[in-house]
Amino acid sequence: MIQISHLSVFRDKREIIKDFSASIPAASITAITGANGSGKSTLLAALAGDLEYQGGEIKYASRELREISLKEQSAIRSVVLQNQSYWLSFTAREVISMGQDQESLARLDSILDVLDMKGFADQAVTTLSGGQSQRVEIARALIRDTPVYLLDEPLSAQDTESKLRIIAYLESLRDQGKTILVIAHIDRDSLTWCDQVIDLL
Amino acid sequence: MTRKIAPSLLIIFLISIFALSLGSSEISGIWRYIFNPQFEPSSLTHQIIWDIRAPRIAAALLVGASLGVAGAIAQAATNNPLAEPAILGTSAGAALGVLIGVLSNLVEVGSLGAIAFATLGALAVTTLVFSLAKSALTLVIIGIGVSAITSALVGLALTAVGRPDARSISFWSFGSFALVTPENLLLLAPILIVGTFLAWKIAPSLDLLSLGDSGVRHIGKNPQRIRLRAFLLLSILVAVTVSTVGAISFLALAAPHIARYLFGPSNRSLVIHSMLIGAIILLSADTFARSAFSPLELPIGLVTSLIGAPILILTIKRGGDVWR
Repeated sequence: MIQISHLSVFRDKREIIKDFSASIPAASITAITGANGSGKSTLLAALAGDLEYQGGEIKYASRELREISLKEQSAIRSVVLQNQSYWLSFTAREVISMGQDQESLARLDSILDVLDMKGFADQAVTTLSGGQSQRVEIARALIRDTPVYLLDEPLSAQDTESKLRIIAYLESLRDQGKTILVIAHIDRDSLTWCDQVIDLL
Repeated sequence: MTRKIAPSLLIIFLISIFALSLGSSEISGIWRYIFNPQFEPSSLTHQIIWDIRAPRIAAALLVGASLGVAGAIAQAATNNPLAEPAILGTSAGAALGVLIGVLSNLVEVGSLGAIAFATLGALAVTTLVFSLAKSALTLVIIGIGVSAITSALVGLALTAVGRPDARSISFWSFGSFALVTPENLLLLAPILIVGTFLAWKIAPSLDLLSLGDSGVRHIGKNPQRIRLRAFLLLSILVAVTVSTVGAISFLALAAPHIARYLFGPSNRSLVIHSMLIGAIILLSADTFARSAFSPLELPIGLVTSLIGAPILILTIKRGGDVWR
């Protein structure tokens, strides 16, 4: 589904990703692991189309990412970023619904259920805990029906129960044919639910 | 919505009536003139109330309303609670724009052409400030720096040139209602109405900007395009107010914060409420400025600072994790 070949990404004149190649098959869960500063989030930003890359190629279903319009990109992949912060007191429900089409909005209730968010859905996002805010971001991505989901450390602030719940849902998405890429800080042993683990050196 | 704006409209009506009755000349039986605008139309009292006080009240309401909308747009477009025309360089850019237009003999002060130049200057400086900034905090610091440079250039040029028509731009730095003419109002009113309507139109897209630029892109929208439209509207509203009464400090900062506190963060309602609250604050401030120590008149900018600055301080105190 995603072909990365000889990718090179610079940030502030430093080459963070150097000659990186990988293949992410469709209907699978792939984890990208690596130490702090190994470029995991940079790689995800490049795959999400948020960051220019200086060399190599990223192909979604054999189409080069640079040639895909913003609008089309949004129909191909959904993204969960880390450390999203808000100063406006929109409710969690409002933030998740923002800018979504009718088809996505129809899934709102079931997503709130899946992520166990009913208890704080109508609370202002500015008052939520780290784990709750992270689930808002996950919900913002999972409410969209796209073939690819890119998630940057989606479990880092979750308790065990939420982790299991989210993993189970990601597995069900994979079984429906979705391609899922997860950035993970944790070691390989705890990633048994992933089909493929790529270590960034 | 109608039910929510009714209290503001009532307050505006009451303060306007009250403001008509206040002034440096003591008038007996003044209410007859106020409640019956046809009463003794050729008398001096009638002239004072309807030809001097009423246009000034209308100007305060229109400018306050424009700045209220401008502040709401500025904060939404930059996703920053401290953004306002003075901090983003919009006001200083408007003054620079007019100065360039006047000195190159293309337009006259107070004309529609001057407003066009003010808009271009405002848009250029605002866009420059935003493109140089990398975070909420640097936006404010860079904005203050660029504003200072721009204002200094305007001040130096005015001093060096010494052309009387250009000199009249210098009152802009302080803000004053003294030079408002009915013609100004005829220009201000339609621009405010169209500007507010357009702001209301783009308000839902401004909500999206609170997701951050990546968040907006991920749902297939272009944050730069949304922001450019907002900056253009902001620049027009600021250009027309700056070229009518000069820079009025802190109002555009305070009005949206009060509106948000009372009515929530959604930009659709914020544009309307911030407009009404801006009008209420500026009319109150101007009425106080001209009647508290009558016949002395206080500088309007000082009175609005007294209201706006505490709100700025409260905002920073409650800022939380915005400051990264």
